[in-house]
Amino acid sequence: MESIKIFVKAKCPRCPAAKEIGIELEKEGVPVFHYDLDTLDGLAEASFYSVLSTPTFIIEDEEERELASWRGMVPTLQEIKQYLSLGR
Amino acid sequence: MSNVIGIKEERKNLKVGDSTLRQEFETTDMALFVRTSEESMNDWNRQRIVDALIRETYIDAGTAKEIAKEVEDLIFSSKIKMITAPLIRELVNTKLIERGLEQARKMHTRLGMPLYDVDQLILHPNKENANVPHGPEATNLTLAERIKKEYALLSVFSQETADAHMRGDIHLHDLGFVDRPYCSGQSLEYIKRFGLSLPNSIAMAKPAKHPEVLLAHMVKFAAALQSNFAGAIGWDSVNLFFAPYLVGMSDRDLEQLAQMMIFEFSQQAVARGGQAIFTDLNLYWEVPKHFENVPAIGPGGVTTGKNYSDYLRESQRFAWALFNVYLDGDGSGRPFFFPKPLVHITEKFFQTPGHFDFLHHICEVASEKGNTYFVLDRGETAKISECCRLSFKLEQSDLEDAKEPWKMRYCALQNVTLNLPRIAYLAKGEDTRLFAHLTEFIEIAVKAHLEKKAFIEKLLSIGERGPLALLAMNRDGSPYLRMHRVSYLIGMVGLNEMVQIHTGQEMHQSKQAFKFGLKVIAHMKLLVDKMSERYGMHFVLEQTPAESTAYRFAKLDLRYHSPQSGHIVKGDLSKGEVYYTNSTYLNNSAVLNPIERVRQEGLFHPLIEAGALTHIWLGEAKPSKTSLANFVIKTFRQTQNDQIAFSPEFTTCNACNRTSRGLRSICSYCGSKEVDGITRITGYFTKLSSWNKGKLGELRNRYRNQAYLQTKEGDTVLMAG
Amino acid sequence: MFPWGPPEPSIRNGKNGRAGQGLGFPPPGRGALNLTMVEIKGFLETSFIEWPGRICAVLFLPHCNFRCPYCHNHPLIFYPEEFVSIALEDVLGRLQSFEGWIDGVCITGGEPTLHPDLSNLIHQLKARGFPVKLDTNGSNPDIIERLLEERTIDVISMDVKAPLDPFSYRKAVGSPVDFHRILRSIEIIKRGKVEYQFRMTVVPTLHGMEEIQTLAKQLRVGPRFILQNFNPENPLDESLRRIHPYDPAFLKEIEHQIQAIG
Repeated sequence: MESIKIFVKAKCPRCPAAKEIGIELEKEGVPVFHYDLDTLDGLAEASFYSVLSTPTFIIEDEEERELASWRGMVPTLQEIKQYLSLGR
Repeated sequence: MSNVIGIKEERKNLKVGDSTLRQEFETTDMALFVRTSEESMNDWNRQRIVDALIRETYIDAGTAKEIAKEVEDLIFSSKIKMITAPLIRELVNTKLIERGLEQARKMHTRLGMPLYDVDQLILHPNKENANVPHGPEATNLTLAERIKKEYALLSVFSQETADAHMRGDIHLHDLGFVDRPYCSGQSLEYIKRFGLSLPNSIAMAKPAKHPEVLLAHMVKFAAALQSNFAGAIGWDSVNLFFAPYLVGMSDRDLEQLAQMMIFEFSQQAVARGGQAIFTDLNLYWEVPKHFENVPAIGPGGVTTGKNYSDYLRESQRFAWALFNVYLDGDGSGRPFFFPKPLVHITEKFFQTPGHFDFLHHICEVASEKGNTYFVLDRGETAKISECCRLSFKLEQSDLEDAKEPWKMRYCALQNVTLNLPRIAYLAKGEDTRLFAHLTEFIEIAVKAHLEKKAFIEKLLSIGERGPLALLAMNRDGSPYLRMHRVSYLIGMVGLNEMVQIHTGQEMHQSKQAFKFGLKVIAHMKLLVDKMSERYGMHFVLEQTPAESTAYRFAKLDLRYHSPQSGHIVKGDLSKGEVYYTNSTYLNNSAVLNPIERVRQEGLFHPLIEAGALTHIWLGEAKPSKTSLANFVIKTFRQTQNDQIAFSPEFTTCNACNRTSRGLRSICSYCGSKEVDGITRITGYFTKLSSWNKGKLGELRNRYRNQAYLQTKEGDTVLMAG
Repeated sequence: MFPWGPPEPSIRNGKNGRAGQGLGFPPPGRGALNLTMVEIKGFLETSFIEWPGRICAVLFLPHCNFRCPYCHNHPLIFYPEEFVSIALEDVLGRLQSFEGWIDGVCITGGEPTLHPDLSNLIHQLKARGFPVKLDTNGSNPDIIERLLEERTIDVISMDVKAPLDPFSYRKAVGSPVDFHRILRSIEIIKRGKVEYQFRMTVVPTLHGMEEIQTLAKQLRVGPRFILQNFNPENPLDESLRRIHPYDPAFLKEIEHQIQAIG
């Protein structure tokens, strides 16, 4: 099953919207991992994925291969769902 | 220089200044002569000990007199024929220690070197810095550095900081240059506008009217700066700032000028200790955005009425000519060691006509001679990389400065490197301890920076009458060294080994290990940001070039953390060629192709503000320039890597003066064994004969992107393409 | 090597193009791919040399029917069985992890055309979108003709060893050679169905100015004839270790001259 990584930062105008989408997806049973770039683990993970702007969404398959990403922008729920096997 | 005391027995009539002394001399029946550092002979005078103790330490006159008396008795009763003044001083020190006066003992220290060491130094080359040739001038430099280093550790830094350095928890770089800032970035606009008017100099030159004169000013100014900074001197947008002087010049004259510039900066033995000036030339194919609408300064130091965007053609022609010179190499076909050309690849580079041809041109130089550094400045943020260890994202205040480019002078005041493997030994596998120790080490580094800052500020406060007159000179409303724009570097050595000790795997061996490496650097990054806020100073992470530090840390850890460290340090233990992997690099010997190197190492670069670099060791191979260009573009587009350089290897023959590809023990042209290898040691090219053991160990291990066959026993056989 | 798939840092905004492409073929190590039996002995993942302008991977195949005295890769010829073979699946898996970077695969050796399932190997590479360059000594014109006529490969590079006469060629090749097959290969390649070049390794004792010029006049391919300097390290014939190669600048000059012969 796919999982989603969401990267946010405290001072970032579009991040609250990104977090909401994450919560929405979690409700639907999608594994969502939240990372805050102001924390150690968040910054380390963001570096690994070359996340330079927030918010960023990364979808990975079960073998941690990247399927899609949105960097510095908030995708719609629809856009995300086309990469999820969930409900297909 | 040393004070020598001759003791002559059977001499009755003594001349002594102190009346109390006279009595005793009569009873001891001895004569003493003191040869002083003023190169004259003085009679023995116990009072000198007393004077020195009172002048240099805080002890009271009574104790000082007691000590002087005890030392005198000791000398006289020993009946030795010849003693040195350092010995007397040490005898006094033992008396201080006997009394528990440790602080006074420290204050009473004599700095200097054992005879044997000086003898060795004069006879053998210095291997700590491969950029120092061997000769009388170099020996002077080393001797001075030794004393200043001791001075720094005793007097500039606190005992806690000095001990951390001595133990090898941290490394304070360039202690021998403690009374100067570390490295700096310059703008040619300063000398174009103000001419060459330096404090203490015997003649003042007005702004240059001709390109050759501007070059001469640049070289002179660089030499003056070299005596005020420890490390690199970088120059921003050199080709662009020269451009207003180059209008109407023929190709031939332009190439001549380019040749003069490179040869001037590549010649050794012209400056400090015979060292070449560690020079970086920052070059652009385009007119950088922040200079487009800036009025150009031309001959005579006056504005030409045009903006810099009008000088694109001259600027490009000059950049091209410089690389023609690099391509040819020096008189015997060797690559130039200095000045280093740093070409900035930006979005605008790709929008500027002719960029593809220029990219091929500089890639040809990279393939043939290796000189080119490709600095990859992505995105819209303007960035300058001023000297090898310093780069800036231009903030609003800098963009304001850019309108008056002579103000764009930058400096890193000091460089402190952490021994990351040491932290891992101390942590004994526990994450909490590891991060706690890392924090502690960074705090020590910050303390060291505060101490250095206080010292330099003290020197600067004396102004143009002080030792740092050049940096205090004020021609444009602020001192040359703008302390409020100074950076403080915190570097690291051996991230790979730290991860190896802590997780059991090197960074290239597992994703988990690699991610742990990122976490360590992320921790450092967050912490230095916090420190910057706390102290209102600009602390930045950097990739320490660690020419000798990687060797020093490995040796010290072999001493303090054996036997564990014996399994960790890289290189050849039996030959003493040991090292830790530099900064955040992946193991030099790991079979990683260049794509993996730039991709993986590049993931660290956004965390390291002060300029980071990936080396691609080419060995003997001479790649196609178009393939290299292809690789540079992909690295720009598909990674976050900050800077790449390709490093070929050469053998230069001292017998026939020819240079061939690859490292060989005999000259492939004439068969002579009088050969020397040339390749990049860290950030610059140099001869192998000057390398320290640690770097030689690393050189042997470097994986040079060669194909190989693997036998079923696990041995490898290298292949040719 | 990274045994784990390194991340693919995409710095573009929006959707990542990899998604669609990634679904096109199954990842390595899964499913039964009917892969060729060619024994791959050496795999250089990235070369900046073999294919000018491109970043290419290089595959080394064993065995050769020539015994050129200056050959460097002779362990591949004399005792290939001593070396570990690399599974094609692993090669393809690695290549896939450098998608967007590697834009070609060069097959060399040894002599690749000795392997009956060479075309299968090429197909496997082409099926994954990799252009292929083939190095050959030209001793198998039939195979070359088929590969070229069907445009299975994208570039062919033939090593030419000496002026085109049986005596010179035999001497340079170090083993009996059917000289007519060499001539036929040259003729087939020169038809120009795909991009081609002729490459000569220049050894001072074997090749003087005259030999090089003679060969250039016989080939008449202009800049498609390129010279490569001999490397005295570890040649098949040990006596060649003492031979000093030509000055690279001198060789470049000669190359410049002969490339004018079209």
